[in-house]
Amino acid sequence: MRYIPNTPEGTRDRLFAECQQRREIETALTGLFARRGYSEIITPEEEFYDLFTGSGSAMEQEEMVKLIDRSGKICVLRPDCTTPIARVAATRLKDMPFPQRFFYDQTVYRSGQEHMGQLREIPQCGIELIGAKGERADLEVIATAVDALRACGLEQFHIELGHADIFPALASQLSMTREELERMRSLIEGKNYAALNDFLGRFGEQPGCQALQRLAYLFGGAEVLDEAEALAGPLPAISYLRRLYQLLDQSGYGRYIRFDLGLVHHLDYYTGPVFRGYAEGAGEAVLSGGRYDQLCGVFGRSAAAAGFAIHVDAVGRCLPEPVPAKVSSMVWHPDELFTMALRYVESCTPGSCELSTCATLEDTIQLANERGIRKLVILSPGKVEEVDIGE
Amino acid sequence: MSERLRIALTKGRLQEQSVALFERAGLDCTPIHHPGRRLIHALPDYPLDVVLAKGPDVITYVEHGVCDLGIVGKDTILEKGGSFYEVLDLGFGACRFALAVPEGSEFYSGYRTRTIASKYPAITQNFFRAKGMEVGVIKIEGSVELAPILGLADGIVDIVETGATLRANGLIPIETVANVSARLIVNTASMKLHKEQIQDFILRCQRELRKEV
Repeated sequence: MRYIPNTPEGTRDRLFAECQQRREIETALTGLFARRGYSEIITPEEEFYDLFTGSGSAMEQEEMVKLIDRSGKICVLRPDCTTPIARVAATRLKDMPFPQRFFYDQTVYRSGQEHMGQLREIPQCGIELIGAKGERADLEVIATAVDALRACGLEQFHIELGHADIFPALASQLSMTREELERMRSLIEGKNYAALNDFLGRFGEQPGCQALQRLAYLFGGAEVLDEAEALAGPLPAISYLRRLYQLLDQSGYGRYIRFDLGLVHHLDYYTGPVFRGYAEGAGEAVLSGGRYDQLCGVFGRSAAAAGFAIHVDAVGRCLPEPVPAKVSSMVWHPDELFTMALRYVESCTPGSCELSTCATLEDTIQLANERGIRKLVILSPGKVEEVDIGE
Repeated sequence: MSERLRIALTKGRLQEQSVALFERAGLDCTPIHHPGRRLIHALPDYPLDVVLAKGPDVITYVEHGVCDLGIVGKDTILEKGGSFYEVLDLGFGACRFALAVPEGSEFYSGYRTRTIASKYPAITQNFFRAKGMEVGVIKIEGSVELAPILGLADGIVDIVETGATLRANGLIPIETVANVSARLIVNTASMKLHKEQIQDFILRCQRELRKEV
């Protein structure tokens, strides 16, 4: 069979503007995270499958890209960054005092569906703050999420807060089977208003019913906290969100903060505040995160923890495409001035100047013409001569 | 309120009924009645642009966020799945999915694994999986009724309107798989970024639907 040199579905080569944009976003993010005292961590691209299925992490089996290693064990390409970091914090770093602060700039792999235009290689940048809880820790993580999106150059975005305890607190007032509970959760998650009303109609006058019915509608500004309290009475999770909002608002983050009390994804995984970032230009969340206090314990050292991941490609979709520098000058040098020529190129704006690959000046002029370069830089001992060769 | 929303309607009957609903809700839909060569129809007195697409494409456009809203049959949603908000049951386009088998056959007895023909393999598979029953599913693109007649399948899962086509081919519906109707779906990010506008649109539709009841 003839070899066909294309790439597998869901992967792609990134060139020029696309490549530059990804690196700019990553540089902005990792720079911010490092300045905030987070250390970079690089975990293996390949991990044991059991790590992600045995840890209660929110990953579906069919979403993971699997491999079999030489011993016959099932491995996966890293489907998420948080679980491996929790593994490291709880095992290799079990004697290191808390809190531990990590950031990452890694690719996650998802198997995805065919022909849906989804990439299977997803670049993510994010942080984990492990071994700290309470409002100071949550404040640090959420404020860093806002600053991270700003550092990327986004202006029209908001971070939407929810809390993993709200739904269980309301649902526990109803007598429901596990299956019914899961059905209700998915209806609220999908903001399936009609089906949710029908579903809850069967539970009629039970306490909490009205609040659950409204939960899917409770998103927007801080006023939804008031409405939630009016419906459900005082709930610790809502007071906590209110307190966080006050702290964020005092520090100037208020205008980026919204709420969605119907944020009920992966309830077995998150244990406190959960959040998502939405920005004009991306049809999906650009950021997602929350508090996950149970995960590290699975690996043998219990630790409160919170963090978030930024979906680098989704952020890129919200930003104007960068224009890569255009090569505008070419350097020619006699043999003995090679190192001087290298230094000259380095002194120019990156990407604006290149070395001639031709031995003679005549060939260099021809090459420059072919490449549309109008400025020639001719080096000779003790002299740099710039020549315009444009017509 | 300056940004325009974009909605994808499923071409055909759902499109007509959707436009009728919009008009009852007071939206001027003239551009959709006189499409010309345009593919995007901007409503003159409401910030809404309308595009027409096949059902599964409506979901694709909404999921990717290139359309904020969509109107699509629940059958397509069940078959294709996806991640979006399903905010309103519009009531129209109502029909029933049923399991139909040749008259006189004993579908549920015996130990031989049954084979089902359907245009909707995912709905069929999920229906039997929920029962804990293993079946073979064969996807058929055209007239599904033919499959049991030719001996390819023991039954079919398909949309049943009057049941006349089934009867003419010696099939009888024995079980409802799902009741479906048109749904209004919303992209998850748009819902958050354009809350007021989208809520306004949902409310307008809802108000008209309530009047009908």
